[in-house]
Amino acid sequence: MSERILEVKDLVVEFNTDRGRITAVDGVSLELNKGETLGIVGESGSGKSVTALAIMRLIASPPGHISKGEIKFKDKDLLKLSIEEMRKIRGNKVAMIFQEPMTSLNPVYTIGNQIEEVVELHQPHLAKNARHLKAIELLKLVGIPSPEKRIIEYPHQLSGGMRQRVMIAMSLACEPDILIADEPTTALDVTIQAQILDLMRKLQKELGMGIIFITHDLGVVAEMCNQVAVMYCGQIVEKADVKTLFANPKHPYTKGLIHSIPSFDSTSGMKKEKLPTIEGMVPSLFDLPPGCSFQDRCKYATETCRGMNGRPKLEMVGSDHLVSCFNPIN
Amino acid sequence: MNIYFYIIRRMAYMIPILLGVCLVIFFLFNVVAPDPAMIMLGKHATAKQILEVRKELGLDRPWFSQYLDIVKSSFTFDFGRSWSTKQEIVDMIKNGAIPSLTVAIPAFIIATILSIVISMFVAFYRGSLLDKMTVFVCVALMSLSSLAYILFGQWFFAFKLGWFEISGYEPVFPQIISYVALPVIIWVILEVGPDVRFYRTVVLDEVYQDYVRTARSKGLSEKVILFKHILKNAMIPIITSIIIQIPFLILGALLLESFFGIPGLGGITLNAINSSDFPVIKAMTVLSAVAFIIFSVITDVMYTLVDPRIRLK
Repeated sequence: MSERILEVKDLVVEFNTDRGRITAVDGVSLELNKGETLGIVGESGSGKSVTALAIMRLIASPPGHISKGEIKFKDKDLLKLSIEEMRKIRGNKVAMIFQEPMTSLNPVYTIGNQIEEVVELHQPHLAKNARHLKAIELLKLVGIPSPEKRIIEYPHQLSGGMRQRVMIAMSLACEPDILIADEPTTALDVTIQAQILDLMRKLQKELGMGIIFITHDLGVVAEMCNQVAVMYCGQIVEKADVKTLFANPKHPYTKGLIHSIPSFDSTSGMKKEKLPTIEGMVPSLFDLPPGCSFQDRCKYATETCRGMNGRPKLEMVGSDHLVSCFNPIN
Repeated sequence: MNIYFYIIRRMAYMIPILLGVCLVIFFLFNVVAPDPAMIMLGKHATAKQILEVRKELGLDRPWFSQYLDIVKSSFTFDFGRSWSTKQEIVDMIKNGAIPSLTVAIPAFIIATILSIVISMFVAFYRGSLLDKMTVFVCVALMSLSSLAYILFGQWFFAFKLGWFEISGYEPVFPQIISYVALPVIIWVILEVGPDVRFYRTVVLDEVYQDYVRTARSKGLSEKVILFKHILKNAMIPIITSIIIQIPFLILGALLLESFFGIPGLGGITLNAINSSDFPVIKAMTVLSAVAFIIFSVITDVMYTLVDPRIRLK
């Protein structure tokens, strides 16, 4: 088994709002190995982005704060580091790319400037000229044509896909051990999406980093990930390797997600009749029902799920297959 | 697109705008306003006297040629003589500009720098007690009438403590300070309140942008994020607000100048209004219109220096 580089244990992130305190991430544990990809899947508001930001310690405080847990990067607990020490990790050992390539770059600086900035920060021994060459090399690495010319361009001169490539180049500038990708392709159109995913896979192979891939798209998970964690209302409801999860989902929510992937009938080439959906809406974190938070949308829910037994705990149902459900699917 | 070409073209737009301004002036002073001959001669004038004065002022000519007079004086900057002081208006403006600017320029520079520094500082500590107190103080400062500052300043600092002259002006170096300091300080106080509030909002708008999150995820310190990434983006609205204030500086602060007896353009304008000195009022109106147009062109040019997305066409 390959080297474990990140271990998140019982992470709890809370936000103080005008309507009271909410727990956006409630006891999440994750593991990431070197060179592997961990997918975090879930609907909007399930806490996946908050988990990612918590690993970077980028939760805006106030209103949010990490109230419990441990984030072990190699053998350091990131939550115990000082701000200065954490800054040396960010962008250097652990880098992040975001969902919004259109707005994630600073509009008033050239892309070269923004890439060189991160190199200058974490590799101060490099001279100005070397930084410039490195930035060109990075742009070449992420497949931007004629990088020598592009480097002096501003973000508004690039398309969304190109900007996301720049973001990737920037995040890889210091060859991080971990790349956190928060829905990196959601805002891009499908062909560009495929290019970016290919690029990420290729770069992972070359650089050997671990990727945490956050998405709501199980199709992308199947393509990208080794391990998958499915999140719902701030908790992990199912965790397994990608093959097991798709072949044998135990949680009704996972099953619902898998069924709602659009697919084509391979014989006729036609779209199937009607795409199944998961009925209902994600409950508000302000008034989660007692018991399982998925009960109102679950076909299999029983009295046990609605009862006073609290939320179900993650339990082992197979080798490396965890699920938190009172009535897991057989 | 060549920037000089842009400037020339924008300056050419000044012509129709000035023609419009002249039309408004003509309408206000030659159509709506009371007959200046009556004002000059008072209640007991005879009809003959009025006719004579009207003829002397050229008010008996057709309206179109009166309009052309205004246009001509706007473009040549020759506004004739003041009705009340009989001075050449161009000379009045020249003489008034220096005292006005001796107050306005230092006040404006101090107020602008102070406001930007304070607003960056409180935006950095946003949500803290310091931030809330600053906003409170700004609103409190804004809520008091400028008259209150003027009268209190004159009574307390000038009269009671004797630090400054109560009123007057002397254009010689060390003495000038004791005349100018108090109006400058009051100007700064009046300006800092609204400026800090506005700049703080502008900076806070940027603080929550996605690129700031990216900058943090790169490991940059808050200081670099604030002064490199946020400041340059925030400068765009701040520049507009700064440059758009400059034309008003040229006219001077009406109240400040008249209370402190500074013989500047503000005082001249106020006197002209009081004595229905139409040519002077017209001259000041044209002057401020021209200043306004010129500085709006400067604003646009400044934008291109800060924001690469803006290209002049």
